[in-house]
Amino acid sequence: MKKLLSMILVLMLAMGAFAAMAAAEEAEAGTVRMLAAVTGGKDEEENILWAEALSEATGLNVIVEKPASDYDNILMQKLSAGESYDLIYINASQYLNLVQQGALTDLTDYIAASEILSNNVPASEWEDLKVDGRIYAGFNKRELHILVGLNRVMLEAAGIDYTQIEPTLDGYYEVFKALREANPSKDFYPFNTILSQNWDLQPWMASVGLKGGVVVDEDGQTYVPYATDAAAPVWEWLKKLYDEELLDPASFVDATKDMRNKMGAASKQTAVDVDWAAWAGLHNANAAADGVSVDEYDIVTLPGCQTPDGSYSLHKGSASLFAVPVNATNVEGAVKVLEYFATQEGGLLLTLGVEGNDYTVSDDGAYTLTEIGASHAMDHGAPVPIYTDFVNPIGLNRGLDTALQYLDYASIEKIIPNEGTYKEIVGKWGISIVKGEVDVTSGLESMRNELVTMGVCDK
Amino acid sequence: MAEKTLNPQKIREENKGKKLMMKLKRYRFIYLMLIPVVVYFLVFSYYPMLLGVVNSFREIRLLGGAAFVGWKNYQTILSSPVYSQAFVNTLIVGAGTFVLQFAWGLLLALCLNEIRRKATRSFFQTITYIPYLLSWAVVGSIWITLLSPSGLINGLLQVIQGESFRKVVFMSERSYARGIMIFTGAWKGAGYFAALFLAAIISINPTLYEAASIDGASRFQQMFCITIPAVVPTIKVVTMLGVMGMLRNFDQIFVMANSNIMDKVRNLLYLIYNEGIVQFKIGPASAAACVVLLATMVISFTVRKLIKYDQIG
Amino acid sequence: MKKNAVGVRHRNELNPAQKVVMWLFLLVVAVLMALPMWNVIVVSTSSTLESSRSGVVLWWHEFSIEGFKYVFEVSKLAKPFLNSLFVTTVGTVIQVLLSSIAGYVLIQRDLPFKGFITSFVMLTMMIPGDLTMISIYQLNRDLGLLNTYTGLILNGLISGFSILLMRNYFESISFTLAESARIDGASEMRIFAGIFLPISLPGLATVFFMEYVARWNSITIPAAILTNEAMYTLPLKLKAMILSTNSTSGTAQIPDNAIMAAIIITAAPLLLIYVFAQKFLLSGLNLGATKE
Repeated sequence: MKKLLSMILVLMLAMGAFAAMAAAEEAEAGTVRMLAAVTGGKDEEENILWAEALSEATGLNVIVEKPASDYDNILMQKLSAGESYDLIYINASQYLNLVQQGALTDLTDYIAASEILSNNVPASEWEDLKVDGRIYAGFNKRELHILVGLNRVMLEAAGIDYTQIEPTLDGYYEVFKALREANPSKDFYPFNTILSQNWDLQPWMASVGLKGGVVVDEDGQTYVPYATDAAAPVWEWLKKLYDEELLDPASFVDATKDMRNKMGAASKQTAVDVDWAAWAGLHNANAAADGVSVDEYDIVTLPGCQTPDGSYSLHKGSASLFAVPVNATNVEGAVKVLEYFATQEGGLLLTLGVEGNDYTVSDDGAYTLTEIGASHAMDHGAPVPIYTDFVNPIGLNRGLDTALQYLDYASIEKIIPNEGTYKEIVGKWGISIVKGEVDVTSGLESMRNELVTMGVCDK
Repeated sequence: MAEKTLNPQKIREENKGKKLMMKLKRYRFIYLMLIPVVVYFLVFSYYPMLLGVVNSFREIRLLGGAAFVGWKNYQTILSSPVYSQAFVNTLIVGAGTFVLQFAWGLLLALCLNEIRRKATRSFFQTITYIPYLLSWAVVGSIWITLLSPSGLINGLLQVIQGESFRKVVFMSERSYARGIMIFTGAWKGAGYFAALFLAAIISINPTLYEAASIDGASRFQQMFCITIPAVVPTIKVVTMLGVMGMLRNFDQIFVMANSNIMDKVRNLLYLIYNEGIVQFKIGPASAAACVVLLATMVISFTVRKLIKYDQIG
Repeated sequence: MKKNAVGVRHRNELNPAQKVVMWLFLLVVAVLMALPMWNVIVVSTSSTLESSRSGVVLWWHEFSIEGFKYVFEVSKLAKPFLNSLFVTTVGTVIQVLLSSIAGYVLIQRDLPFKGFITSFVMLTMMIPGDLTMISIYQLNRDLGLLNTYTGLILNGLISGFSILLMRNYFESISFTLAESARIDGASEMRIFAGIFLPISLPGLATVFFMEYVARWNSITIPAAILTNEAMYTLPLKLKAMILSTNSTSGTAQIPDNAIMAAIIITAAPLLLIYVFAQKFLLSGLNLGATKE
């Protein structure tokens, strides 16, 4: 017994000594500690190079910590343990919750004082971050928009020129019908969208002039436009698509990944979807990488239905941010990093990655991705950086370039702390309406009631 | 001799005390052996648990201190209809999964035990164990696909019912939701229960079977008269394990649920995550977790008494 | 089947009808349970584009090992694999030892406070992770266990689960063995290590394997205490690959064949150990099965 215990003890001591050798280095002056989810190098070695490059460029000693998974849990654990970070990566919903708890440093004055932050970032982006007129975070990247993706080759086979599609609900209905006639297979559906997660309906809701999420009316009361009776025509349109087997019934359960697989060149089980702008480019790039030519497979994008006043209305991703916790020791350093992210050079670090590792620049200034860089797909935290005039020297994927021209039509939804609840309730009643389990009027009424009961909106 | 008129009650107590002291002395090495285990549990289980319980009575602002608020967090969650609904869901899906998984596992173990060739048995045993090795992120998405409109199940139904058949979106049917969770949950864990049962079945003395066989009992009868009684201790352990884990299912719901069926299957841990962790509400999240702990304790100790868990040995 | 005319039947088996039912059941269950793994195998060895085909794919359209190449060259799973192998093996061996000691304690007849000790152990199995999530991080930080192998091994070093299982196996051993040894003057350690451990090999193997799987797949603790990528364990990497949280605006994702390859690499060691453990179980069983 004693032998065993002492053996275990010795083993533990040995492991302890081993651990002590691997102990983290001491923090020093000019150090900025970052807790990041997606920003940084893609593996251990690259993350070190990435932090070195950032340190060199800012004259700081930047330490980047990247938890492997369960980022939300880890963030909460570290903050509640009082760990001191100078920059933490958060999403818009977390931003609001943390501001409400008073956990973030007010950066308004720092931003106003910084030429780079005020000039290199569009004022509208800062506007979106304001909570009672104050700003508590800077940007990780530029958020893109969601729009309608179409398989040009399949459309043409059905006799449709995508540039001539009438931007109305009826116009798209005709497109789906034509696609259905050309592809009678039971496994094919002309249209797919992720209803279960209330994945973007904005291109269609535009037709009745409604904006997604929670909106504040003139009296200062919040409401959900999609749950109003004004949204009924769009829900009825979706129901019609479902009834006539134009909408993939898997839309009720699919995750984005399933939708993308169906849209992809290998499956082609759907011809029209609604997805992030970046995905038009990714679909095309994936197909091209496997030797599928542009004549066989080509994804193009459209901004969906026109609004009653003849414009378009798209949904833009809510921000992914870097905030400075109130217990940060180096706010100036943190702001310096945020400034660097809003420059061309910082943009290169966030997209292409580390020079010499991910890409090389020849003497005549031509950029080339290395094999490592290519496998990282020009994303080291930001596919498109926040800097207004950023130029990607390699160029964008086919499809993404044209999709970006619709970015000006896009706006974010109001940031709410309980986004998950909102999506679930709208999704649940929306699906019930589309399946015909309830009629539109009473379904929308139930949707409104539940949204109010669960504290998503006022009315 | 007043002092010698001993109170029998007192004698019994004294004897009891003496006996206890003797026993304690006799078992002193046994207690010594237990020290590492006790220390470990105190440090890594009870201490964090205590802090969690304390947190459940506090309102915590991240990086901004905390204040005791009494029962407020508990009132918040107990008055919420979502929590009571989640509690019901947790119980139904949890109990259903356990019962099915138990039956499935036991049946599987009995069948595996009938396979004579070691290689064949090993093959089947390994195959049926695989789902347990894979995470919910993997098997959840596979089941969603199998049950999707273009999936295998709809394909089979179409063959049976012909062309007029309209595809069923199983995962969005509210009346199937709990059934699907129970089935897939049992499917994932049956091989694991079977392995536990089989380990017990295998160590049954073969002479028992021979004797029964000589007495004319058929193999089928032997199953009921020898095998099952012999695995009763294991059945008790498995029941206890199942009951204690019943309320702690998160990943499956996180991966497989969707908004249309959510209020049929959403369970407590999922709710704690969504309402508490994601929104940084430590107090209410801890309070809800305490309720889960308390409920588990009540259920487990009831079951422990019911199945007379402590009576063997 | 009642008494056979021949007397004792030559082989002690089910009758043919029962056998058919049994094999049918086994076959259906096996197919049902093997299907996902087969799907994983096929997708992992398909080309990148083909691996994005929707639905459950059960046969190859284009065979390729790109996925496995990606996993080692881009995702770099070799180091996490070794990390997992090290901490899981060391942790599980210690765990089985300590758990069997505790299990041995719990089978002592009329041991005072046995019920209390059992409850003490059981309660640890009921604590929901959400309750301890915050404090477990603080605890590990205060003990200096962040980013250490010691931390990975120490957390979850003892589980109520294996204690209960060991108790269960020990119970099936004739207690009189211990009593007579005790009368002969053998020490507790001798009785435990010399009599109980060898006789419970099948039980030890089962507990070892069960705990190995649980530890190998654990995510919460490693995720909480590791920020140093050099120490990442395999399931952490796998989860990060599957639930790629790459930004809200949608960016490049890891190809399916690579994800499936990673799943195979994660599950393969467990399968190998299971096959090995089974052999061990079967050979160990006749040594000392002395069920009363």
